[in-house]
This record gives sequence, C-alpha cells and structure tokens, in this order.
Amino acid sequence: MRYVLTLDELTGTRKTAIKAGICQIGRAAGQMAEGTCHLRDPLVEADSLGEALRALLPNTKEDLTLDLGEKVERSVVMLLQEATELFCGGRSAECLQLSEVILDYSWEKLNTGTWRDVDKDWRRVYAFGCLLKAVCLCEVPGDGAPAQAALRICDMGLLMGAAILGNILIQVAAVLQRHLLSGKRPAPDLTRELPSPKKARNDQVSAPDVELERTVPRLHCPSLEYFRKHFLVPQRPVIMEGVASHWPCMKKWSLEYIQEIAGCRTVPVEVGSRYTDEEWSQTLMTVKEFISKYIVNEIPELKQDISIPDYCCLGDGEEEEITINAWFGPQGTISPLHQDPQQNFLAQTGGFINYNSSSQADQQKVIGRKYIQLYSPQESEALYPHDTHLLHNTSQVDVENPDLEQFPKFAKAPFLSCILSPGEILFIPVKYWHYVRALDLSFSVSFWWS
Amino acid sequence: MASLGGGGEAASLSARFLWCAELESKARAGKVPRSGQLSLFLLNLVGARRGRARRNASGTAGVSPLVRWAVPRVLQVRLLPGMAEERPGAWYGFGFCGFGQAPGSGRGRQVHGPELLGAPVDTCRVSASWSYTAYVTRAGRAELAGAASGAAGGCADAWASEALLAVLRARPGPGPGAELQIWTPGSALRGKPLWSQPVESGCAEERGSGGRARAPSLPLLPGGSAYVSPRAPFFRPLAPGLRARRLELGAEHALLLDAAGQVFSWGGGRHGQLGHGTLEAEPEPRLLEALQGLPVAEVAAGGWHSVCVSEAGDVYSWGWNEAGQLALPSRSLAEDGKPVSREALHEDGSEGKEAGDEEGAPSPFVVIQPFPALLDLPRGSEAAAASCGSRHTAVVTRMGELYTWGWGKYGQLGHEDLASVDHPCRVEFFVAQHLRVQAVACGPWSTCVYAAERGES
Repeated sequence: MRYVLTLDELTGTRKTAIKAGICQIGRAAGQMAEGTCHLRDPLVEADSLGEALRALLPNTKEDLTLDLGEKVERSVVMLLQEATELFCGGRSAECLQLSEVILDYSWEKLNTGTWRDVDKDWRRVYAFGCLLKAVCLCEVPGDGAPAQAALRICDMGLLMGAAILGNILIQVAAVLQRHLLSGKRPAPDLTRELPSPKKARNDQVSAPDVELERTVPRLHCPSLEYFRKHFLVPQRPVIMEGVASHWPCMKKWSLEYIQEIAGCRTVPVEVGSRYTDEEWSQTLMTVKEFISKYIVNEIPELKQDISIPDYCCLGDGEEEEITINAWFGPQGTISPLHQDPQQNFLAQTGGFINYNSSSQADQQKVIGRKYIQLYSPQESEALYPHDTHLLHNTSQVDVENPDLEQFPKFAKAPFLSCILSPGEILFIPVKYWHYVRALDLSFSVSFWWS
Repeated sequence: MASLGGGGEAASLSARFLWCAELESKARAGKVPRSGQLSLFLLNLVGARRGRARRNASGTAGVSPLVRWAVPRVLQVRLLPGMAEERPGAWYGFGFCGFGQAPGSGRGRQVHGPELLGAPVDTCRVSASWSYTAYVTRAGRAELAGAASGAAGGCADAWASEALLAVLRARPGPGPGAELQIWTPGSALRGKPLWSQPVESGCAEERGSGGRARAPSLPLLPGGSAYVSPRAPFFRPLAPGLRARRLELGAEHALLLDAAGQVFSWGGGRHGQLGHGTLEAEPEPRLLEALQGLPVAEVAAGGWHSVCVSEAGDVYSWGWNEAGQLALPSRSLAEDGKPVSREALHEDGSEGKEAGDEEGAPSPFVVIQPFPALLDLPRGSEAAAASCGSRHTAVVTRMGELYTWGWGKYGQLGHEDLASVDHPCRVEFFVAQHLRVQAVACGPWSTCVYAAERGES
C-alpha cells in the first residue's frame, strides 16, 4: 500500500559529483603511495595528531577566510567568521560545535534543488565545515581514536564539498590516513592465501558469443587525427589497444595494497543487482568494509596510478573538467543499458595473472573482462527509456533477457558488442547507449570528457 | 507558521477546538478520511441543527456548500462555557538559537525543552527563520530578534526568511490600504525597504475563507491572489481560480490550501514532497488527487516534506523521511545505533512493540513517501494545527497537546534531549505544566508554541 523508494540521489549530475570525489580520494592515496606529500611525519599520540593537522592550516584568520559570493547569507558569513576566530584562538570545543552548525546548514543547501544548481560556494562552505570539524575532533580531549571519524568527515568533504584553501582536505586526509596506518598491524597477507577451488568457476562463466559482423572495431594506438576523423567526429565506438598497456596500473595490483592504503577511506558504494531495481541503494562505507563484504576469495592485483588518455585533448574541456571514475566490483556486476551526457573512455585496467596454475598457458591468461553492448542514440526509441526525468537516460529493457512482449522494437535494434580486456580502452561516444556486465572481478577507470 | 490573528481570537481558537471535539464525538464512526463526502454530510447535519437560528439572523449563506463553512463561524461566538475563563497565554520556544534569538535564557546555542520566549507582550504572530525571529504584536508592532534586529510599527503581518523579511504594513501616507514591503534582514527595518507594492487589504469577514478565524498569512498575501517568495521574483501572482486560503513554502516546493479545502502543490519534487506519487517537478499548482474530496483544514511545509491536517483531525504526511520527519520508519535513525523504539502506540494509549521487530523481519524503512500517508497520533488524538521545520514536524491536538517528531539534533523537538525520532512523541512539558497548547510555529531548526493555562481540569 505504501510506495517505498530506496533510491537515494540518482541524477547523473549528482553521481558526477560523487565520482569526482572518488577521483580525489584516488589522487590522495596516489600521493601517499608515491610519497609526494610534503608532511611532517605523523606521530602516534593524539595530541600530536592535532598539532600535525593544525600545522597544515593557515594560522591567521585572514588566510582562513573564504572568499564567498552573495549567495551565502550574511548570517552564515557571521558564523564562519566566528568559527574561524574560535579556531585560531585554540577554542576547539566551541569551534567543533559551530562547525556542526555550519555543516548542517550547508548540507541542507546541498540538498536543495538539483545538484548542478547548487552554488559552488555552498559546497565550499560545506568543505570548510568538514575541515574545522575534522581538525577540532582531533584536538578535543575525549574518547580516543578520533582519527577514523575525522577521516570519514574529510571524505565527506571531498565527496560533497569543493576545493578550498588549496585543496587542503586532501592533505588533512593524508595525514589522518598515515596516522591510522602507523598504529596498525600489517594487513593479512592475501597473496599467500591459496586460491579456493571456486576459482575454476571463472572458466565456466559464459562469455557471450560476439558475432563478427557486430563487433566493435579495434585499432592499435591510432593517431590523434585518425581517431578524431574516423571515430570522434562520426561518433562511432572503437576499442583502442596498446594505449593503456604502458600504464603502471596495468601491472599487478594487490588487494592487500589497496586495503592498506585506502582501506580506511569512505567511498560511495552502489548496492543491488541493478540500479533500476527497487532494492538498489547507494550507501557510504569504507573501502575495507566494501572489500570484506563484497569481494571475497579473489586475489587480483591492483594499482592506483593511471594516466589520462591523450585523446581527451581533442575535446573542448579543460583537463580539470575530465571526470575520472573508478569502478571496482565483483564478477557479475551489471550496469543496465544507459547513456551518459559526455564522451567516455572506458579503460579496463583490472586483471590478474592466474598464479594457481603451473601451466604456462594458464599463467598468461589475464582475467578481468567486461562484456559490453552498444546501441546508437538513433535507436533510442527501440530502447524504451524511462519516462521520469530521474531515469530518462536509462532503458527499461534488460538487455540480456529482454521482455520482447513489452518491448517489441528492441529485438530489431542493431548493436555493437565486445569483450573488453585489461589494457584496452573503449571509446563510447556521447549519449551512446551502453550495457556492461563484468565477466570477472574487475577494476575499470572511465574518463568523461567533452 | 502560526498566526492568532487579531483581537480576541486566541479565545476563538480554543472555541473552535471544543466545537470540533463535540462534532467529532458524533462523527467518529464515520471517520474514514478518504470519504470526503461523508464528512461533508455529517458537518451539514450538525450545522443544520445548531446553526439554523443564527444563520437566519446573520443572513448569510443558505444552502449546502456554504453551510459547512458558515457553521463554524457562527458557532464560535456562541459557544462554550470555559471561554470566559480563558487565561492569556504565552509563547514558548525550543531548538536552535545560535544567534541569540531567544528562548529566554539564551544559553548555549540550543534549548532542548520549552522555555518562555522573550517575545514582546501581546505577540500574536511569530515567524522564525534560521538566524532570527520576527514577532508581530496585536498593536501592529513588528520586532526582530537574533541575527537581525529592529522594530517597526503599523505592521499587520511579517514573514522571516534568511534571504528577506516580508512585512505587511499600513501604506505610508494618508489613506487606507496596505503595502507589502520586502526588507533585507540586516536593514533593521530602517530606511526604505528593498521593494514594496500596494496590496488589497481584505478583512477577515469578507474573505469567505470558510469562516476560519485565521486570516491568510504571509507568505500568502491578503486576497489570496499572490504570494511572497524568498527568491526573485519576490511577488508571485497565483491563478485567479485558485482561491487560496493558505500557502506554505518549503526549500524547493510550495503548498496551497484553497477555500474548498483542496490541496495543491508545485515546485521541485525530487523528495516526493509534492505528493503526486512521482519525483517529477511541477511548474504550476497541481491538485493533490490523493486528497481530493477530503476537506483539509491546514497545510504545513517543511524543508522537503509536507503535512496536512484534515477537518476531521487526521494528519497526512509525505516527502522526505530521512530524519523521521514523516513519522515513518527511518533507516538513518536505525543505523545511528540509537535504540529504535519502534513502539506502536495503540488506540487506547498503551504501548507495545511492533510485531516486525520481534520476528526479526526487516523493517520497511521509508526514505521517500511520494504521496500522502495517514499518520496515527498516539492515544487517538486528533490534530488541530501543524507546522514543519526543515526536517521536523509539530502538531497541536484538539485537546491542547503538542506532538513533535523528526530531526532533533538542536533540541527542536522539545523532549529535553537531542535525539531524532521517527514517531510522534508528546512534549511532556506542557502536560506537566497544565498548559493547553493553542498554536505552533516552526522555524527551520526550532519550534515556537503558544500555550495558556488550562481554565479547568
């Protein structure tokens, strides 16, 4: 009787914002790994953590003040000034209280209207609130171990906020992360764990038959001009081989490594078989929780370092405007047929070499594949997109099990298909409908550009 | 936002409550909310018996459609013993007061339980924004407290928002007439308003607004033909056919109650706050079909949720439930580790656990409720008035009790704590102090209540 919706924010624009956050987290973790952060060594005791964090921030009121436009109301500006004064005066407990108010008020602004209408200044106010709260949490005497909570707050600021004070949240998060890791025992050595017999099931996964006449064409390292003339301008999909193969992340990734350097970070996770289902939901959890809950018995090797494909420079946007999403999920993960408002390079980066087998042939088998079907925007009518504004870029048809009675035109819609393996990049033109199913545990990186 | 109107109308509110209580005791068997026709019939019946003499005398309305509206107006004058013993009440407040806008002690940034507001004497209208509050007295004086200060005379009504302060004032200069003035909160009501426009000044009797004692209040303008918006354009006309009686604004939507008791909604709908069963936005006022035929007495808009109270005293809510503001099970409250007291209060007021919890079946959490859901108040209470803050809801019952639920982090629920709850909880302060709650006006993170000592036990 009651209509229960479990979808949280679902518009593509909000997803964009959240994914950008992942990119930030990835960058932070990457900086950590490479040791490019110029920080003092984090010390283990709590007081020193507070000091270490405070040292990251400017210590004068003027330098801490944000330059905000008129959308931010006078009353909020007053509060921000007061909070800054309290912070500079070392009154952490009171500053903490005020930061909560700032966070709650700006959070309401972030939830008003569509994400793209949210004034960037409110996101900056939100990030500022996160910054103050995270630092003050570590300074206020109280129940121990504020670092994890503070890190979660930084992650929220990175996800929902906007860069402030030279993107200081990344640095604060890095310090917190190092603090958390320094106090911990090393993560269990997963590489030594014998793969369970269940591994064999990978071979039994039905890789769909890809009919030749409908395969996505493949090129090896095309020149910029060739790609632009034959695929970007006419908006035709193509798989590019050899482009990503030199990326460091193509080498072995380790689950242990990602758990170690990013395990305590909070990321948004989509839970559910497909996002058009009623039980689908989006939730926040740490990477460690996600891995222990959803990634079991797998030992892929993963690495963080990625490069933006050169082909993105053919677009109009700035490099900072390229949205990089990292997708990590178990075998069987499905993205239902949908279209995106920007050009997309989907790089398949996750794979691993089968350690288990002693045979040479098996050892070279690299797994981490995605099965993809592509439909041109001209076929949109045959794909029966949802009526609602929220899901108008999503098809109602279940691609691999279509209800042809309800969706008759779908049977006749021509499509391209392919299996994307590690090291390959698929170019998905803007608004090209795509359906993705992970044949193995895989890690992909997608680049949205214009 | 509640308004007590002017001149002796505090008394008439309780009069109306008492009248409704008598009516309900007759109509209780037929209290099936969706059957609006049934309520109408019963109202007519009672009205006919009681009001006939008065009706002829006053010469108003004759037959059917107007009878049910004429009746309350007529009866309220005559009514009830106990009226003469009505004590003057006072305004209480609780919740966020981080800008020193009172409640009384003003200590800290929030007040967790009802305290006397430092409101001017004889305040009949309270409009609370996030950082300041506007009071309007019967004498027509508007006073601001909190981040904005200042005062001015000749004001009939005021509406406070962070972006602007709207005031209904007597037109400057000779001659009658009223003017809508838009001020920035920081102006302290000095100098010239940002913008002003003459408006028709109707009086309560002419408005034909169903005999309800309350005049249309800001943001709805007198005459019901336009309303004030905190975002440009400030002055927004309404379609003439709408006959608006009451209008409430949420963070991204608007609710309108018309003279016939029908509810309209428009604006953003992504949290289901429009009540049409979808998450689509509506550019123009659209009738809430789910409530069609059900005469609604009150509407209230929160940040992203909506509440209405029917003439029969039922409460309906719809929209976002992320903090339990719809009094439906909220996932985030459960996950926060607070013991989810999902106690179901039965009709007779006894408490008991819902079967679902004991069986271990997953509770049906509601994040978004896109069309109206009927709410049961504990002890079978009937609602008389409602007001919503950003993410909380407050309801006054006919018996003069106050129930609150939703987001409680700043003490805006008045339960002497900072917990959020997803089911109606009575504010015990007023019971303990033998106070009869008569009106409620919520700010975004606060609640203001008008209550008076009960005349008799």
